[in-house]
Amino acid sequence: MSDALETSGTFRPEVIEDIQIKASSGLYRIRGWGTLRERRWATFDDLTFLPCSLTRIPLEGYREKCSTKTLLGTRFAKKPIELDVPVMITGMSWGALSYNAKVALARGARTAGSSNTTGDGGMLMAERENSRTLIYEVLPSRYGINVHHMRMADAIELTIGQGAKPGTGGLLLGSKVSDVIARQRDLPIGVDQRSPARHPDFLGPDDMIIKVEELREATDWQVPIFIKMGASRVFDDVKLAAKAGADVIVVDGMEGGTGASPAILQEHTGIPTLAAVCEARAALEDIGLYGEVQLIIAGGIRDGVDAAKALALGADAIYIGTAALIALNCNRPLFIEDYRALGTEPHHCHHCHTGRCPVGITTQDPELMKRLEIDEGAERIANLLRAMTLEIQMLARACGKSDIHHLEPEDMAALSMEASAVCGIPLAGTRKVFGR
Amino acid sequence: MAEISCDGRTTRDINSEIRRAIAAGDREIVVKDPGARHNLAVAILDPARIRISGSAGYFCGGLIDGPRIEIDESAGWGLAESMMSGEVLVRGSVGNGAAAAMRGGTVVIHGDAAARLGVSMKGGTILVAGNCGYMAGFMGQKGRLVVCGNTGDAFADSLYETACFVGGSIEGLGIDAVIEEPSKDDVAWLDATLSQYLPGVSRRGRDFKKVVAGRKLWNFDKREWKVWQEAL
Ligand SMILES: Cc1cc2nc3c(=O)[nH]c(=O)nc-3n(C[C@H](O)[C@H](O)[C@H](O)COP(=O)(O)O)c2cc1C
Ligand code: SF4
Repeated sequence: MSDALETSGTFRPEVIEDIQIKASSGLYRIRGWGTLRERRWATFDDLTFLPCSLTRIPLEGYREKCSTKTLLGTRFAKKPIELDVPVMITGMSWGALSYNAKVALARGARTAGSSNTTGDGGMLMAERENSRTLIYEVLPSRYGINVHHMRMADAIELTIGQGAKPGTGGLLLGSKVSDVIARQRDLPIGVDQRSPARHPDFLGPDDMIIKVEELREATDWQVPIFIKMGASRVFDDVKLAAKAGADVIVVDGMEGGTGASPAILQEHTGIPTLAAVCEARAALEDIGLYGEVQLIIAGGIRDGVDAAKALALGADAIYIGTAALIALNCNRPLFIEDYRALGTEPHHCHHCHTGRCPVGITTQDPELMKRLEIDEGAERIANLLRAMTLEIQMLARACGKSDIHHLEPEDMAALSMEASAVCGIPLAGTRKVFGR
Repeated sequence: MAEISCDGRTTRDINSEIRRAIAAGDREIVVKDPGARHNLAVAILDPARIRISGSAGYFCGGLIDGPRIEIDESAGWGLAESMMSGEVLVRGSVGNGAAAAMRGGTVVIHGDAAARLGVSMKGGTILVAGNCGYMAGFMGQKGRLVVCGNTGDAFADSLYETACFVGGSIEGLGIDAVIEEPSKDDVAWLDATLSQYLPGVSRRGRDFKKVVAGRKLWNFDKREWKVWQEAL
């Protein structure tokens, strides 16, 4: 290449663009979707399964019984959650998502025997009516908080943070604060809503112990209490959440999705999901609660392979957000002109923050929303959840497991030294765990 | 009238008994020897009158919809948090985050309120006869917050549509909080509400300052960079 066309390794074209956009707006950049960085850290792709050969005997891959039943909340709740599959729909707010998207997720999860979760805007009645198992989020903003809705839920999730932006509250830009959403959240129409990061009525982990008791009292100790956190100091935070009395801990890694967040937080805060699972398991083992407190892992989970690896590393269940939206046609080449109007193309869109979602998922515009047909969307969600579960079973059977929850770290080898060090799993071709 | 003693019993047991008494038709319940226990009378959803004869701990009357709760002495953090309707009256003072995220009803505090009073309130009315600590009213969305005495620093920071009224002095206004003249309706409402709930307060409606949102934080705007930079 001639010198004339050489690109700076520091001021790359996207850096130049970023600086010029900020020079024009005077503001940090906001967008949806989660980290866009090329992942140079250890990910689930750095692990491979070690199926049976002579040392272990496989189950018949396509047919032999391999249980996928998933129990959550066995520690204190009178009615733990029982799901047919280990993949659950994560909390995404009505506001970030359209009505059609919320209902399609609920109906699809119900069909597949899974659960869905409310979000930072309270519960939509149609969501409850279409769910089999509904998890009710209690977030710092408390938008739409309603004790009656809480008491209709099958579990309560006390959210401390999210993987896309641990330590910072949610964002919903004015274009999505429609009159309906404004009413639901008690906000003025069209404000750029910035949710608080701290809960309004407690601050530290000791107060949280009392908060958890309050939520139990409010729900008669019937339903499990989840505590959700963005992955940052996972080893310590998980222990504190367990001490606070959580039945289930949700850890959302740095690849976690979002409807809208400052881009720098998505790119430069938190630890990756792979590292987060390993720290979370180690924390629970350290305090003797591994197995008693269940662990849900979220953040960039794409398929049954990622999910199976997370299960093998210690998770009891998996949350998916972005993958579920993709099942609903996010980034599909439909209505291409509308992607272009946003300055993007199908497969590159991360413009959920604009409220102009070309496929009707992350919008409050009634016309755009119609593009997401609820029944069809529900079917696609159910299909994805089932396909992911079949993928997990396929891997579990190959590893000789009659229950997907029997997958273990010994079923895998590391493909990079980083993954070996993070997961405590020998590097393929060696007997060695790096860093130990 | 039902009398429930807290002595030697778990919170779960006490709250269950409150619920049982209400279900059995009792509309007057006295909770004795509360000993500043946490989570008393949480999520009560009926219009009963519950008197806590002593001090309550954290989250007393949290998540209620309908009852009238009277606390003879003081209350800890998160009093009546996220309540939807009803009345909560405290004869003494309250800890942090009182009436946080409340959506409706009335909270009356005869003494002082600590920090973060009425944070993220979404409706209803908060009345404090004494003073309040820092950051009262932070991100208040709707409803009215009345402090008859003095406020701490960062008062009414990042407000949406909560109307705040202060009888005494304001140690410092929060970001985007502005003082405006109370309207005639505001003064009439203050007079009527104070004489109903806090007749002992000598200040009248016309003595109050009104604090509302300057609305500069409602939408991102580069011209308001200074405000954004300092927003809590
Ligand atoms: C559109 C969208 C909206 C979201 N809204 C919320 C929310 O309201 N509350 C919350 O705790 N997390 C929210 N999240 C984060 C998810 O619950 C979850 O932690 C994350 O999406 C998991 O990562 P994944 O999307 O890569 O699966 C949202 C995510 C997306 C994509
Ligand atoms: S297609 Fe819609 S949901 Fe998907 S990234 Fe674009 S705006 Fe967001």
